[in-house]
This record gives sequence, C-alpha cells and structure tokens, in this order.
Amino acid sequence: MTGPRRRLATLAVAALLGGCVAAPPKPDYDKLLAAAPRSILVVPVVNNTVDVDAASYFLSTIPVPVAERGYYVFPVNLVKRVLEDDGLSDASLVHAADPVRLCALFGADAALYVTIEKWEAKYLLISTQVTVAFTYVIKDGRTGDTLWTEKRLTTYQSDSGGGQGGAAGLIAAIVSAAVTKASPNYMGLARQANAQALGPAGTGVPYGPYRPEYGTDYPRPDKAAGAR
Amino acid sequence: MARSLLAPLLLAVATAACSGPSSYYYWGSYNDTLYAHYHAPQEREAWIAGLKATILEAEQRSARMPPGIYAEYGYALFEEGDTQNAIAYFKKEQALWPESRFLMEKMIRNAEQRGRQPQPPAVGPAGALERS
Repeated sequence: MTGPRRRLATLAVAALLGGCVAAPPKPDYDKLLAAAPRSILVVPVVNNTVDVDAASYFLSTIPVPVAERGYYVFPVNLVKRVLEDDGLSDASLVHAADPVRLCALFGADAALYVTIEKWEAKYLLISTQVTVAFTYVIKDGRTGDTLWTEKRLTTYQSDSGGGQGGAAGLIAAIVSAAVTKASPNYMGLARQANAQALGPAGTGVPYGPYRPEYGTDYPRPDKAAGAR
Repeated sequence: MARSLLAPLLLAVATAACSGPSSYYYWGSYNDTLYAHYHAPQEREAWIAGLKATILEAEQRSARMPPGIYAEYGYALFEEGDTQNAIAYFKKEQALWPESRFLMEKMIRNAEQRGRQPQPPAVGPAGALERS
C-alpha cells in the first residue's frame, strides 16, 4: 500500500527538483525497510584480487560500521570459525550457499556479503596510487531476496611533492611514492569505503533498531501503518 | 606543569582516534585486536587479552558494549578449553542481545558437551605453543 504511494511522492518531488538539478538515482529501500532486519550476519569475504591476506584483513574492518548503524552484528570471528568447522572455509562456497539456510544456521535476519574487487598499489610515474574496491550485498534470511547493494571504489594518491619545485619536489615525490608503495594504507582506505558505503543517508543502510534514530531517516512500513 | 597537561591531552587524542568522536558503542582496541589476530593468528594471548581489555574498559566506563564482543571472547576461551568461562560469556551475550539467543544456545550446548568430556589437550595454536 505505502510502497507505490511513496514511490509516487518521490517521483513528484523528483519531478519538481528535476527542473533545477539532476538528482542521482535513489536506491530503492522498500525491500530493506519491509524486511526490517534486526540482526546481520557478516559472512567471510570473497577475494577477487591477488592479495591473499586481503579477505581476513578486510573482515576486521566491517563489524564496527555495521553495528554502528544500529544492527546486531554476529561475532565475525566466531562465525568464520563455525563455518570452517562445517566445511565452509572457502568464502565463495559460503556466498554461493542458500542465504536462507545460512542465516538459519545462526538465527540471523539477514546476511551481508562483501566481495573485494580491488586491493592494489600501483606506481604511476613518480607517485603511487592505492586502490580498494568492494561490492556489498545484504540478503534477506527469510526469503533470500537481495535487500540492498552498493559498490565502492576508494583511492589514495601518494604526495606529489607539491609546493617544492624542481629536483627537491621530484625527490620528495619519489620518496613519498616509495613509502606508500612499501606500506599501502589499505585498512584506512577500507574503513573509508565502508563508511561511505554504509553510512550516508540516501545511499547507505538505514538506521537499525539499536539506534535512537531508527525509523526517523526513512518511514518504516510498520510504523506508517500503525501510528499514522 | 606543561608536561602534566600534555599527557592527558595525548591520551585523549589517542582515545579519540580509536573510537571516533561519533562512535555509538565503546570499541576500544577491538578493530586492531581483530586485525592483529588475522595478521598473526598464532598470537593467541594477544587476541584474548585484547578482547578482554575492551570488555573491561567498556564495563568500567559504563559505556555501551558492542554487539558480538562477549561472544567473541567466549569463543576464544572455548578454543583454549576454558569451557566454564566460555559459557559465562556466551550467556552474557545472550542476555544483552536477544538476536544472539539462537546461536548462543548452540554455543553453550557445544561448550557443555566439551566440558563433560575428559579434558583433551588444548586445541588451536595456543595449545601447540604450550606443548613446545
């Protein structure tokens, strides 16, 4: 009932705004709001890069931002170990498994699947560019439907020796590129990507039930039916 | 005089860097502890101590306990063969978070079963360390 009506209202607002600015396409929250998960199972991460450590390192960055949105997040390391004990140590097997059965194993309302698409540090002339890219998908534990999806690519470019001209600037840039290449700050970039993917209103995940803001950012179908 | 002011200031800056100004829960060193655990899984003591420190700090400050941390600590104790304390922490997780109930009941049953068995040599890398 409220779904189509809200969409119509959004459309009307978009039409009004359309005159002045081209608004980016708004993600469809109807499914996520209707499913209203309280708990999210973060499953091991699929790694499509050559860096073998990326998956477990990334896993350490994800519980905080998801929990901070107001959802119960299952203990990631416990989950990882329990899955390994069940013969699911390969993350791609976990991602390919039926989400309903997977969530039932833990009593989870929904599951978050993250895939690492990029995790690399490249020399570009006299600077180093560090890039991470992730795909995030939340699936419903009751129906298996995809509730929300997001992609993030974040880059960091080493200092180009700006300010200092000539040889000094060039040396500064080369040193900075070498330092960045030797120890790329993947974790900082991953945290930044997570915050951008999950956080902002309009693109991120709506507030969950453990935050006082729950239900204030987007009208909840259940609240709309009851209170209004 | 200046130095006495500097120390708490530095501490405040360091703390702010860990938990972030807008953090809803008290995370302490959780993030770094988890990262370090994946970086060097054989260092079990640091893993367990890190989890414990975050829990104690949150409790002492009466700050909001993050979801999952009691269970994570309980599981680390379970892996060390300390089933009794593992169960205590699984129960804490369950009491704080109704969403964890199903999984915690499973973990508690598991730990109880393990606790009844004659004590096996500790599993996991820490056990290997003790033996060597």
